Amino acid sequence: MTKPNTGEVNPKDTAAHEIRSYATGFVISLILTIAAFAAVLSDLSPTLKILIICIAALLQVTTHLRNFLHLSFSGNQSREDLLLVLFSASLLSIMAGGTIWILSDLHGRMHGDQAAHAEPAEHSHNRAPED
Amino acid sequence: MSNTDNSLYPGLNLTGVQSEANEKAETNVFGFWVFLMSDLIIFGILFATYAAYLNPVGLAGGPGPQELFDIKSVAIQTGLLLLGGVAYGGVSLGVKYDSAAKKVMLWLAISAILGAGFVFFEVSDFIDQAHKGGIPQASGWLSSYWTLVGLHGLHVSVGILWIIAMITQIKTRGLDDTVKIRLSMLGVFWHFLDLIWVGIFSLVFLVPLS
Amino acid sequence: MIQQTNPIFGRLDWSVTPYTDLLNKVTSSTIVGAGAATVLVVGAIGAVALLTWMRWWKPLFRDWLTSADAKKIGIMYIVLALVMMARGIIEGFVMRAHQATALGTLAAPESGLVAPDHFAQLFSTHGTIMIFFVAMPLLIGLINFVLPQQLGARDMAFPVLNQVSLGMTAAGAGLIMISLLVGQFGTGGWTMYPPYTGIEYSPGEGVDYWLWAIMISGIGSTLTGMNFAVTIFKKRAPGMHFMRMPLFCWTSLCVAIMLIYAMPALTVSSTMLLLDRYAGFHFFTNAAGGNMMNYANIFWMFGHPEVYILVLPAFGVFSEISSTFSGKKLYGYTSLVIASMSISVISFTVWLHHFFTMGSSVPVNIAFGIATMVIGIPTGVKIYDWMATMWRGRIRVTTPIVYLVGFFMLFVIGGLSGIILANPSIDYQVHNSTFLVAHFHNVIIPGVLFGMLAGIHYWFPKAFGFRLSETWGRLTAYLFIGGFLCTFMPLYVLGLMGMPRRSPTFQNPDFMPWMYIAAFGGVLMLAALTSLTWTFWTSWRNRERLAVPGGDPWNGATLEWSSPAPVPEWNFPHIPVVTARDDWGATKRGGDPWRGPDEYVDIEMPANTYFGVTLAGAAFLLGFAMTWHIWWLSIVSLFTIVAALFWRGLQVVEPVIVPAEEVERADKQYRDRIASLTPVRRVEEETEHNRGVPDITEFAG
Repeated sequence: MTKPNTGEVNPKDTAAHEIRSYATGFVISLILTIAAFAAVLSDLSPTLKILIICIAALLQVTTHLRNFLHLSFSGNQSREDLLLVLFSASLLSIMAGGTIWILSDLHGRMHGDQAAHAEPAEHSHNRAPED
Repeated sequence: MSNTDNSLYPGLNLTGVQSEANEKAETNVFGFWVFLMSDLIIFGILFATYAAYLNPVGLAGGPGPQELFDIKSVAIQTGLLLLGGVAYGGVSLGVKYDSAAKKVMLWLAISAILGAGFVFFEVSDFIDQAHKGGIPQASGWLSSYWTLVGLHGLHVSVGILWIIAMITQIKTRGLDDTVKIRLSMLGVFWHFLDLIWVGIFSLVFLVPLS
Repeated sequence: MIQQTNPIFGRLDWSVTPYTDLLNKVTSSTIVGAGAATVLVVGAIGAVALLTWMRWWKPLFRDWLTSADAKKIGIMYIVLALVMMARGIIEGFVMRAHQATALGTLAAPESGLVAPDHFAQLFSTHGTIMIFFVAMPLLIGLINFVLPQQLGARDMAFPVLNQVSLGMTAAGAGLIMISLLVGQFGTGGWTMYPPYTGIEYSPGEGVDYWLWAIMISGIGSTLTGMNFAVTIFKKRAPGMHFMRMPLFCWTSLCVAIMLIYAMPALTVSSTMLLLDRYAGFHFFTNAAGGNMMNYANIFWMFGHPEVYILVLPAFGVFSEISSTFSGKKLYGYTSLVIASMSISVISFTVWLHHFFTMGSSVPVNIAFGIATMVIGIPTGVKIYDWMATMWRGRIRVTTPIVYLVGFFMLFVIGGLSGIILANPSIDYQVHNSTFLVAHFHNVIIPGVLFGMLAGIHYWFPKAFGFRLSETWGRLTAYLFIGGFLCTFMPLYVLGLMGMPRRSPTFQNPDFMPWMYIAAFGGVLMLAALTSLTWTFWTSWRNRERLAVPGGDPWNGATLEWSSPAPVPEWNFPHIPVVTARDDWGATKRGGDPWRGPDEYVDIEMPANTYFGVTLAGAAFLLGFAMTWHIWWLSIVSLFTIVAALFWRGLQVVEPVIVPAEEVERADKQYRDRIASLTPVRRVEEETEHNRGVPDITEFAG
């Protein structure tokens, strides 16, 4: 599956390269964070707000993984770690997604849902139609 | 963005510059990543639970996101944690490029202080919310909110304790190979917590406020 | 139990022991309870007395409890498991005996050997013990012993963490055992569903015992999963590509993956229940927005992968023994690998089948039902592969093969009943009836138990240098097979007749014939337990005759057979360079397999440490203190754990160096021994002539 990862590598990189990685990551994260907060404080529709927040979150997570945690798709890195993160993300989607599906399905079949709303409909049946 | 040489494995790489430590580091850091994945599952399930309790039934007539959330404080916490993450970059670079132990300890301290600032604001928020009736004993949603956010805060606190432990270790046994490997793992932990926070401020705070 | 909390003793008072229950009222139930506590007390005192009399304390600590060697740790896991299994089987027997006497009438609805509350504790401890403190330690112990050797490694990736995991498991087991003497156990089954197990309906210490035992041992298991995974990824011998690993290593990898991703779910569900009980949270309460169905959801996200964690190592064992004892290469290696990995991944997509009846809508039930049926396919592939391995082989019916054949015939029935249950419409009829109880025992006993016992027989000589008695081993196997059949086949019938599970009482006299057969099955199980104990005892007594110092008693093909028996601490004088699948078999076919290395080097081994034992003790005290609300002790224990971690971090830990001369001496002794021993052909495997040196003209594998 992977080649053993114990070789020596001549460091061609310098500290500057790594500092740049952190700095870029910081700036991008800042922008994405501000975008998310701005969306909430704006006048957009709720659906659009949620979409922006979620996309910003996903992008920021990716940025953190690449720039701060140095996870990369490049072939030089041991693939085991990338595989690990991707596999974990998949299982997590199944478990979290499955939970949300199951519980919202159950929730939809519970009367508790209706009790929490106001009950204008029942009252109107009993009232005589106004002239 | 090419990270060819400083990314043999995720997290701090001690390649070339510190090759002997690197082999042991690979096993230890990989193991720590694996452990973090199990931690990720814990958080993931708590996130899903939070979503499941975020409805009128789960709120049970108690205070909700609109009443309790202080978006300014959340923004401050986000900033502090992000800066804390970047500050740890100072630690990583110091360890990798053989900086003086003093410099590494300084960056560790800065990270810890920023993290402590984060915890301070978070705890004050919790106290405020409790005064407004937003105690975890009030509803299912509040229980899941306190648990999810509280667990993250607990992790950050443990991270701060770990930083203190590392500073102590550097002082007593010096910046030896084992200590450097542990600093790698702590770095992965620290950044991971910032990552989880991205999920929290987005899904726990911002989405319900939308 | 009392309501107010004493600052020193918490909730403890004199009424917590079963002796006070017995003094209050003498019934068969209180006698059984007091009897069980007495066995524990006498056993503990006896063990202390024996250790003191034989002066074994120092060797116990020096050679075992402070060892970080995966082989020793593995053996200790298995010993723990077997002790707990004795309790589990006896509890099973008591339940069968109770139900054979529990036919109630309208006038006296509650009758039988034990009181209903006592019965409820029995089925709760039985399930908890069997899953968490028998099956898990058995498989973790076996993997600990075998995996590094099969990979050509010296130890696990994290030896001290391994020790800590064992300590956590032992601490959890300790909590379950102490509940026999102090207080009562929970009555919610091994799954402990709220709101029944919430603070409102179960205010006592019982559920807390369960929660802390599970949480503490769960941490150990999660760390073990990580340890196994990293070992397999990073510690394979050079040349041991993934597709050259023995199947047992593949199934260990699958187990590791499932442990890493499934244990957290249990941690979450238990933590939520703990918060509900201790801090008044509302995760699972009836009121204030609690959602009790979420508990079942999260628990089974753990629970389903858990049962595959249990059975996959058994599948790994079956791969090894079906090949070795047929003298044939394992059939379908690639398909077995793919099947094992598929089972691991799909096991995370089926968990809702444990609560089909909880009220989900049809699309949800059907999706999980289909996934559940799909997971039967890779299992079927594996069974065909093992059968094909044995086909046209020259099979020796050793104890492991008796277990294997028992597995073939019985596990398939259990698997089929599982496919039946996978259909939600059918499941609605038999959910929580004894049909279900029959199903899961039908897969666990022929699957997990037989596999683990077969594995123990197979690798025992490697650990201790002598074989186990074949006669007694086979008898034990037959007794387990017979015991299983008589105990659990009637339960299928009873389930279809409508009998619910976990029933302390029932009113239908038609159940009785089946109850009697099941009770007889319980007796057979006790006989099997006795026979198993006797197997170990008599083998030890005959160890000279059964000795196999050559190290390869079965003419095996994998790396662990290339070392002496018992295997030295460092496993191999040199880390082998692997060139093929079934490398040792290939080496034997190449001729002169026992030629020693040209030179020897110093070997680094992990040093002994008290770290694991310390954490184990502190964890046990923490769990006990939290259960009984002895807050000062909780704080002290927690502080001890944190302090131990902090302190260890400050230590510069040096490995122990085994000097090259010592390795050379031991190794030369081994090779000289081999030269002096007569090789045996397989036909003489079970005789005294087998000294562990196989005839290499016979195919290995």
